[in-house]
Amino acid sequence: MADDDDISRRYRELPREEPPRHLDDAILAAARRAVHTRPAPLVVPSGRQRWYFPLAAAAIIVLAVAVTVHVEREQPAEDMLSSNTATAPAAAREAVPPAPAAEPAAPARAPSAPAGAPPSQRRFEMRDEARAQKPPPAPSSDERARNEAAPAELQKAPTEQSAGAVMGRVEAPKAVGAPPPQAVPPPEIKPAEKTKAAIATKGGAESQRRLDEGAGSGTRLAASAVQSPEQWLQGIADLRKQARHEEADKELAEFRKRYPDYKIPLAMRERVERR
Amino acid sequence: MLAYGAGDAGAFETLYARHRGGLFRFVLRAVKDRGVAEELFQEVWVRVIEARERYAPKARFITWLYTIAHNLLVDHWRKKGLSLVALDGDDVSSESANPARQAEAREALARLVHALESLPAAQREAFLLHEEGGLSVAEIAAATGVGEEAAKSRLRYAMTKLKAAVDDG
Repeated sequence: MADDDDISRRYRELPREEPPRHLDDAILAAARRAVHTRPAPLVVPSGRQRWYFPLAAAAIIVLAVAVTVHVEREQPAEDMLSSNTATAPAAAREAVPPAPAAEPAAPARAPSAPAGAPPSQRRFEMRDEARAQKPPPAPSSDERARNEAAPAELQKAPTEQSAGAVMGRVEAPKAVGAPPPQAVPPPEIKPAEKTKAAIATKGGAESQRRLDEGAGSGTRLAASAVQSPEQWLQGIADLRKQARHEEADKELAEFRKRYPDYKIPLAMRERVERR
Repeated sequence: MLAYGAGDAGAFETLYARHRGGLFRFVLRAVKDRGVAEELFQEVWVRVIEARERYAPKARFITWLYTIAHNLLVDHWRKKGLSLVALDGDDVSSESANPARQAEAREALARLVHALESLPAAQREAFLLHEEGGLSVAEIAAATGVGEEAAKSRLRYAMTKLKAAVDDG
């Protein structure tokens, strides 16, 4: 231990070098700078720049809202595709004169709008109702017939065909019976959709030709596929009148299977049901 | 250091004044070149400044300070190899006016310096940490990242060799 102390004492006799003054100054200055320097703000809030952040934020919000609204307005075509089966009976029922005003709307809502449906779905439902209140754009039988009569074609180009069919219903009502009233102008179709509509018109004519062939073959089921519900009911009433009750019952059962939500008007019910 | 981390620049000046000499000599005697020593010395303090906000007092500040210095020296040695600064122009003032004793003392110090230079780097570092930093064996072990036994052994070997060199004359 004494030896250690002796070595330590001798070591301390060595010159005591110190760091140069300029090094001290540099280090101390760096230490002071580090303390006083704070991270620079992202945007210096001075003059006009003060408005950059709020302005940018507002612009982003407005843009986001505009895009959202735009996207939602672009969706009716999709809406029409999804509620295809629901709109058809609704449109057809509107044509039945004795039906109460409130009755047709209910079945139209039934397939796709449960009470607890999300807001977007309900919004689409409101559009369906609005469409139902207007004259029917086209009977749904066209779509049904195309699905049944030309499955191969649908498989070949399912998206284009179905979209085209929808647009065709709007664009070319003459392709399939039940024309809309003249007072209502046809809905405006965008240029991009016109191509689809043209395809649909072409497809509609094709399907009409096939339907005619189907009617020629005499199959009643195929005929019922192209009929509107009212026409179908009228056919059943005719069968009753001719005392062909077996066939009438079968047709009525088939009708109810196909249109489970359709409320047959009282007058018509007396004519189609067996007494 | 905590005060400096909280924004008190004066606290750093106190720390610096307390440790500047010892740290500088530690670095200077561990490397050969004075310029390199100044560079390393400055780098140690820059690291201290940069670490001010995340400093946690797990040990004495001086242990942490010399740990930084040790790490920088290790990096330096890896690049340059082991060396010690030559203590040229020693100006050892003697307590005695006796020329014979003065000469004897100068020779003893020269032998000490020579022996210090000749020590293996690890032993020299342990000795310098003990002498310049005032670190205990445990603190030397912590600063150099070795076990206490190894640190104690290094320090013991360094002392023995230096004592032998001084007594040689």
